[in-house]
Amino acid sequence: MAILPHIPWLTLLICLPLTGAMLCMLADERERTSHWLALATTAIIFVITIGLFISYGAGGAGWLLHEDAIWIDRYGIRYSLGMDGISLLLVLLTAFLHLIAVLASWPIERHAPRFLGLLLLLETGLMGIFLAIDLVLFYVFWEVMLIPMFLMIGIWGGEQRRQAALKFFLYALAGSLAMLVALIALYLLHGEQTGSYTFALAELMKTRLTLPQEILLFSGFMLAFAIKTPLVPFHTWLPDAHAESPASGAVDLTGLLLKTGVFGMIRIAFPLFPAATRFALPLLGILALTGLFHAAWGAYRQNDIKRLFAYSSISHVGLILLGLAAWQITAWEGSILLMLTNAIATGALFVLIAMIRQRTGTCQIDELSGLWGQAPNLSALFLLFALASLGLPGLANFAGEILVLIGTFQTHPVWASLAVVAVVFAAAYILRLVQGVIWGPISGTRITYDLTPREWLILVPMAILVIWLGLYPAPFLTPLHEPVQLLLGGSP
Amino acid sequence: MSETLLFLIPLLPLACAVVNMLFGMRLPRLFAETTAVAGVATSTALTLLFWDYSVGEGTRAVLGTWLSSGSLDVAFALRFDALAAPMTLMVTGVATLIHLYAVGYMHEDQDYARFFGLLNLFVFAMLTIVLADNLLVLFLGWEGVGLCSYGLIGFWYSKLDNAKAGTKAFMVTRVGDVFFGIALLWLFSLTGTLSISEINAQAASISPGVVIVLTLLLLLGACGKSAQLPLMTWLADAMAGPTPVSALIHAATMVTAGVYLLCRMFPLISLSAVGMTAITAIGALTALYAATCALAQREIKRVLAYSTMSQVGYMFMAVGAGTVSGAMFHLLTHAFFKALLFMAAGCVIHLAGNENDIFKMGGLARRSPPELLWVFLAGAVCLAGVPLTGGFFSKDGILLALFTHGDPVYKLFWLVGVITALLTAFYTFRLVYLVFAGEPRGHGHPHTIPMQMRWPLWPLALLGLAGGLLNLPVLVGGGERLHHWLGGQAGRHVTASHNLEWLLIGLAIVIVAVGWAAAHWRYRVFRGARDTKTTRFLLDGWRADQLVDLMILRPFNAIAGFCWIGCDRTLFDGTLNVLASQARASGNLLRRMTTGRLSSYLAAFAWGFLLILGWVLMTLVGRGGGH
Amino acid sequence: MIVPFEHVLAMASALFVLGLTCTLVRRQLIMILIGVEIMLNAAALALVGASAFWQQVDGQVFVVLLMAITASEVAVALAMVFYLRHRKGTIVADQFNRMHG
Repeated sequence: MAILPHIPWLTLLICLPLTGAMLCMLADERERTSHWLALATTAIIFVITIGLFISYGAGGAGWLLHEDAIWIDRYGIRYSLGMDGISLLLVLLTAFLHLIAVLASWPIERHAPRFLGLLLLLETGLMGIFLAIDLVLFYVFWEVMLIPMFLMIGIWGGEQRRQAALKFFLYALAGSLAMLVALIALYLLHGEQTGSYTFALAELMKTRLTLPQEILLFSGFMLAFAIKTPLVPFHTWLPDAHAESPASGAVDLTGLLLKTGVFGMIRIAFPLFPAATRFALPLLGILALTGLFHAAWGAYRQNDIKRLFAYSSISHVGLILLGLAAWQITAWEGSILLMLTNAIATGALFVLIAMIRQRTGTCQIDELSGLWGQAPNLSALFLLFALASLGLPGLANFAGEILVLIGTFQTHPVWASLAVVAVVFAAAYILRLVQGVIWGPISGTRITYDLTPREWLILVPMAILVIWLGLYPAPFLTPLHEPVQLLLGGSP
Repeated sequence: MSETLLFLIPLLPLACAVVNMLFGMRLPRLFAETTAVAGVATSTALTLLFWDYSVGEGTRAVLGTWLSSGSLDVAFALRFDALAAPMTLMVTGVATLIHLYAVGYMHEDQDYARFFGLLNLFVFAMLTIVLADNLLVLFLGWEGVGLCSYGLIGFWYSKLDNAKAGTKAFMVTRVGDVFFGIALLWLFSLTGTLSISEINAQAASISPGVVIVLTLLLLLGACGKSAQLPLMTWLADAMAGPTPVSALIHAATMVTAGVYLLCRMFPLISLSAVGMTAITAIGALTALYAATCALAQREIKRVLAYSTMSQVGYMFMAVGAGTVSGAMFHLLTHAFFKALLFMAAGCVIHLAGNENDIFKMGGLARRSPPELLWVFLAGAVCLAGVPLTGGFFSKDGILLALFTHGDPVYKLFWLVGVITALLTAFYTFRLVYLVFAGEPRGHGHPHTIPMQMRWPLWPLALLGLAGGLLNLPVLVGGGERLHHWLGGQAGRHVTASHNLEWLLIGLAIVIVAVGWAAAHWRYRVFRGARDTKTTRFLLDGWRADQLVDLMILRPFNAIAGFCWIGCDRTLFDGTLNVLASQARASGNLLRRMTTGRLSSYLAAFAWGFLLILGWVLMTLVGRGGGH
Repeated sequence: MIVPFEHVLAMASALFVLGLTCTLVRRQLIMILIGVEIMLNAAALALVGASAFWQQVDGQVFVVLLMAITASEVAVALAMVFYLRHRKGTIVADQFNRMHG
């Protein structure tokens, strides 16, 4: 199985982007150098993750890779990383989307080295989140992720960037603090019970808690995750953050940041507090359904394309969480697959929106029209990803959606039926967008050029992936079977 | 030959579609056209070549796994059986002719690659529906045809109305898909499989109440694609697309997908009498509704669109009456003569100088090449149900099935069917007279019709006229071939006494004669358009669009606005903004304490010192008192 | 001890209150500084008294330290007063309120 040499790969995954980030920052004022540096870094990471995927794609029980070292011994904090099938896929996604994001940020000229440095720092944070299995380590990476994003929105964003960045930061901070308190409380409770003070996830899972204690601590963790996900009613930061963030930032935001919340629930909140989870699942399901509808309706009235897709992301996350709330193996695998497919489809759309904006100077639906007549290739790809996002069978999102729906129907037929209804509303906002932007008479700013080679290079792999995931998702489902079974085994 | 080769039938058009979409614009026009036609034609040939695979139980072929998770295991699998084979042959055959016609029709359009790409993709998706072995693969095709229909209705996208018609078609059919989707999920959770044959085999074990609901869900799903009440509003607008598209998608194939779905799931739906009655009722209502709308239409393609809706209503009635063979029979003959009528209408529009309005045509009999009148007439007599044509036999079979059904309520449906037949005969001949008879009323400059647009009409005219041979009733010496071919999937075998059959045939002849006579009397000489309240009501399709706008679109818009502005903006952000401004206000209050003046700081310091001192003294005194 | 310890403490307290009053009441920076010095001296007096009373040398050591600190403090403070007067032409403390919220 392991065709790779014995190297601490996980540490490498975290350290490489960090090194790249530092080098980029050092390459100050030498834009081209920093671009190539960032590209090389992300490319190497991507190659490594592909290697890991090939070696460990067959899945397996327990940790596929595991690293452990003493960090702060006095408080029982360890540097321990672990990778199972779920984190394998998310690490792969992170590496892929960062490669895309670096390519997509080629047009950035203002302080490019710093921007790229932050982007790579973000990658460090994300890799850490997906790999850490010590709660303090997880928390550190959780915060590491926050700062680059805040700066990227606040410095390279649109006109309302300050407010948007502040809103993002305050929301995220409120969640993190709740998590921190819950985390320390759990640490102390566990220490009092067993006498060994530790932050290791596996150890903390053995803590005996009363139901009220569990619910309280669970809420602390869930608040952080629900804000990041975002679950209605904690979602209003996302449309603003999206509308103001630069293209590659937006790719990261939808593609990965939102997924950390879901991942946190899967990896930490549910396994740590099984009783509270059982208690909270119906509520989670109802909130997820509310979000699914609410955001789909909200998206219908948006005029800014970025905002529209921010709402669309919220809506998709609703479906992902619905799958988790169904607590059923097919639904879970569908949810995790949907995380990947949504990240790719929506990520590609954000890249495309940036390209449209670059050409026309706007991304308001009512100011755009008749794009097909001017840039058919760009429009065709836009249509492809929009249709994928709409859940057309044969394209990526459908595979995840149908698994979620089929799985959810097994345990909650009413939820699943309602979720199917929401599909119509997804079609409504997507078709309204396509009709407004791609079809219609040619008007407004004339576009003088279609896709450039660099843009082809970004979009073609994503298009291939969208079709591949739609028609043959098996390689991405296989590594999920065992971890999901394991996670579901414990409770309801 | 291995059975996997069956996949070539749908995949060839797909491959051609991909080639055309990716490289079509960079290749010579002739190459794009040849690829498109050749792909579909080869599929037709392959269907004939593989015909033997469909005998008996049919053949199942698997290409590979699509989705596998938990207990779900869906493969890319197709089943070529007695029901699928004639349908496949019809789809590929008619599509080949229409592709040929389209080569002529689109010869001036610059965007040919997109057109042929989408048309080929449509054939692929339609064949996927026809050949699907499980419901999920069927759903893949189901959504695929919707997508291609969307892209082709709005093909001339620079007119926003066309794009809107496409969006409307996609949206309305998607509403139907919701019900289909729920039925799919439910069937999986009941039977643990998505394979159509296995579901049908297990159908008897499902409780009757659930079967009723499932039938209704499948019916609503079929209604969306087949433009039946209440999801019918999109079809008339869909005529905004190029004429070959109307002929292929909105007459011959896609709109009959709903009927095909019901035929496929027949073992399941036939278990519920309520569901069957509902199917018949929907079919009857739609048939009558669409026929009345067709009476007042002014655009030639809209007349045909409403007539399609009406004829598909007949097919629904056939399924509801329990005769799958009757439904399939009408489906096939209808596909031939309706595709013919649409393509002939395209020629007519061409001849009239791109004039759509039949009130501005007239006198085309003299100007047109004589063969056009004959082929159009061939289609018209089939549609009107003139004796001995294909349409006559298939329609008559359905009416007989309705009449002989045990349930008395079916007599009522039969009556609706008869009235609709009368209306059909009337509006068909109205169309013929308005287009061909009398003096020319329009001023359009006639175009010449290219060869490719002329000769595909002949095979279709022949097929339409002779379509009756497919399933000729025993009464007139036929062998009911289609019924026997379908075998176990044919549904109820309709039997009646010879006297009754002759009586109904006589009635049908009378109906056609009356319809023709009325049209002859009213429209032989054009006496100007009447514009009364009734005609306008019928012209607007019973104002269904306004109703939908009022009942659905506006409330939806309001809810959507509420979600965004009312909820997100006002409630959530508003609450947070209030919190933020409270924090700021309290900060402002505390800010006053920072005067920046040394004396006030010192005073505060002194007071604090005093306080602490006082407290220390108090505790000392208290402790002293305690002793 | 020639002087009773109570007297020393009373003296120190009186001195402290005088210094405090001076600090609080006066607005001139110089006078405030003098008030602070007086309070420091009151504290030093109390320390010396206590040192003599308990026969411990610590108090006296601390007073020596205090004198050094006081001297340096005065040096810095006076330099600042000089600078402030140079900038604003006044040494009334309330005039320097740019740090208000």
